[in-house]
Amino acid sequence: MLKSFLAFSLCITCMGGVYAAETEREPFDDRYCTTCHGADGRGNEGVQAPRLAGMEPWYLRRQLENFRADRRGVHPQDREGIAMRPMATKLSDESIDDIIDWVGSWEYVPAEATIEGGDPARGRGLYGGCAVCHGDSAQGNESLGAPALAGQNDWYLVTQLKNFMAGYRGAHPDDTYGAQMRTMVNTLRNEAGIINVVSYINTLSR
Amino acid sequence: MSKQVTRREFLNLLSAAGGTAAALKAGSALGLLPHTAQAASMDLLAAGAANRKVAILGAGISGLTVAYELSKVGYECTILESSHRPGGRIFTVRHGDLIDEIGNRHYCEFDDEPHMYFNAGAARIPSTHRNLLAYCKELNIDLEIFINENKTSYVQDPALLGGKPIRNIDYTTHSRGFLAELLAKSLNAGEMDQPFTDQEAETLMGMVRSFGSLDEDDLYKGSFRAGYAAGGFLEHGVQKDIIAFRDLLQTQMGRQLLSANEGDTGPILLQAVGGMDKITEGFTKHVGHQIRYRSMVNSVEVKEDGVDISYDQDGSRHLLQADFCFNCIPSHLMTGISNNFPSQYVDALKYIRRGNAYKAAFQAKERFWEKDDIYGGISWMNNPSNQIWYPSSGIHKEKGILLAAYDFGDGSFHTAMTHEERIEAHLSDGEKIHPNYRNQVEKPITVAWHRMNHMLGCSARWQRNPSGWTHEEEELYRALQQPVNGRHYMIGDQVSMHSAWQESAVMSAQWAMTDMDRRLRA
Ligand SMILES: Cc1cc2nc3c(=O)[nH]c(=O)nc-3n(C[C@H](O)[C@H](O)[C@H](O)COP(=O)(O)OP(=O)(O)OC[C@H]3O[C@@H](n4cnc5c(N)ncnc54)[C@H](O)[C@@H]3O)c2cc1C
Repeated sequence: MLKSFLAFSLCITCMGGVYAAETEREPFDDRYCTTCHGADGRGNEGVQAPRLAGMEPWYLRRQLENFRADRRGVHPQDREGIAMRPMATKLSDESIDDIIDWVGSWEYVPAEATIEGGDPARGRGLYGGCAVCHGDSAQGNESLGAPALAGQNDWYLVTQLKNFMAGYRGAHPDDTYGAQMRTMVNTLRNEAGIINVVSYINTLSR
Repeated sequence: MSKQVTRREFLNLLSAAGGTAAALKAGSALGLLPHTAQAASMDLLAAGAANRKVAILGAGISGLTVAYELSKVGYECTILESSHRPGGRIFTVRHGDLIDEIGNRHYCEFDDEPHMYFNAGAARIPSTHRNLLAYCKELNIDLEIFINENKTSYVQDPALLGGKPIRNIDYTTHSRGFLAELLAKSLNAGEMDQPFTDQEAETLMGMVRSFGSLDEDDLYKGSFRAGYAAGGFLEHGVQKDIIAFRDLLQTQMGRQLLSANEGDTGPILLQAVGGMDKITEGFTKHVGHQIRYRSMVNSVEVKEDGVDISYDQDGSRHLLQADFCFNCIPSHLMTGISNNFPSQYVDALKYIRRGNAYKAAFQAKERFWEKDDIYGGISWMNNPSNQIWYPSSGIHKEKGILLAAYDFGDGSFHTAMTHEERIEAHLSDGEKIHPNYRNQVEKPITVAWHRMNHMLGCSARWQRNPSGWTHEEEELYRALQQPVNGRHYMIGDQVSMHSAWQESAVMSAQWAMTDMDRRLRA
């Protein structure tokens, strides 16, 4: 009885071994951005993932590196950042290069405006402080490390400005640009200011 | 505490006028109960010369149902699936399989044996899910009983008896005993005569005594229902000690324990022999050649007389033109795909929230639970891992696969952890029930549905308010169920009022096909 059981289990093991050797494992790569960020990286409100198409390569790199190094997406209240960080944690330098190339191949299409109730005229006044770095038409400025804002999903801009204001983003000691944003965002004063300024940005085009 | 049940409360109960439930009366509603109806059998018109090209977006079970049924009557179907595998949320994990969780991709290292699998998505089929079961029958899928409730499994809560695990049967026997004793007291308190006839009162008391295993004085003094402390076969059985009611009341878990085996998860439940994806396989045997894998839909444009779909495969963009399109891509992903849907349709897609479920599994080096009289079923823990499922299959084999954690309500706790942190959490939670757990299990897998590639959720959540569907929600739901231009249908359990069940996905597909068929006949 014992003998036959042994013989049986041996046979199972060897069959298993052969089978395993014959089966190839499903390959995967790191080009998974569009699952969240939508078709051609145009952003997906459904999962609150912003538009990547048209994002400056240097800004994209900096953010991917920030996420990877736990400089962004660590505050428990930063819901979207927390969702993003693990997606970046395991990226190699080569993968980041590849993603940046890939994102660069997508056509820039400005996002549609979704927020309501803002006052663009007031927002224009508030935007003066932002323009210093992000440019008069919110087109961005690489030498100052300030990304374009025009054409970005407005719901994303609102969330990020709120996060800066509350210290959910930009609080990491090594996030120098984030620290600058945290100071600047106070000129918007409150949530109404944020909505107004984003309503104004919605009127700008790159 | 000594408040008696009032006569009025009894009267209300008897007439069912006090609650919201309408009383069932013989000859009225009773005669109308539709529960003998068979599964819907599709009676579709054969495809004509025109209008025969069908695009199916997503190889979830709803998409596969459409492909299977429409192919039978001559339609030419093409299925675009962004992942490397069919089945979507029907996901059985075996030796060597890729778990494509973004940020936590890993391969399953379970031993390569037929019973060593884990249903990381759908796992249970209620016997009333007759449309799904009808396909199982038609596609020759072997089914077996899924054991959900196991009275020998454990209940563990740090608040209960200092965290000592107790058997489910101890919890339920004693709780029922105490509840019955309370009820008997209030029934005996003299209020009975008027609302009840003698015979009704006797029946009721009989039910109460038997519910709680009360003695002749209507007191609960323990019961052999909880098993024996010793003996019971060749010697007299020795009754187990009672757990004091006050002790039982220290845990909130009764709510879960007393409802876990009701409704959709009430007996009888079934599962596919060898893994739930045998159902997917049943379909793909017929329509597998129609699936284009790693084909990610990029845009959907509904036209006057058809639907244009663009998709990416092998690094290039392709166009698929079809007369009809059936789409089971999760709503929260569809919002990120270019489309020309009407605004109310888009509003509906955006309205649906996504659930956040989490499951994990271990391979057990030996079936240690069987030595502890446990065969299948669930142990419940008041900790984030929440459940341990013992496999219903592979009984008495050497090893088995255990579900190590399952959170269907809000899996964000484990989702936020790294793979290693999750595993440690399940080990330390599980060893509160099985002291040697850590040494008995290996080869973990963890699956956070919120991060699964091409899915990013576990199921649609339409209702924002637990008290029911609002009028607005219902309107959005109806709008999403209707086709765009009579050409594009959203399908899947997301287009049902009962999401998170395969049956709902199948029924939504059948609804859409019937609607298309009706329009073609008109
Ligand atoms: C943890 C868990 C437990 C469950 N337990 C049970 C259970 O016990 N019993 C039960 O009956 N049900 C259960 N369910 C629910 C059941 O799995 C689902 O209801 C059913 O499988 C849904 O099928 P579907 O057709 O709606 O589509 P899905 O399975 O959601 O399929 C959608 C498909 O679309 C694909 N897709 C996504 N994006 C794109 C794109 N851009 N292009 C092309 N394709 C795309 C996806 O890869 C996927 O294959 C459970 C689900 C989960 C997650």
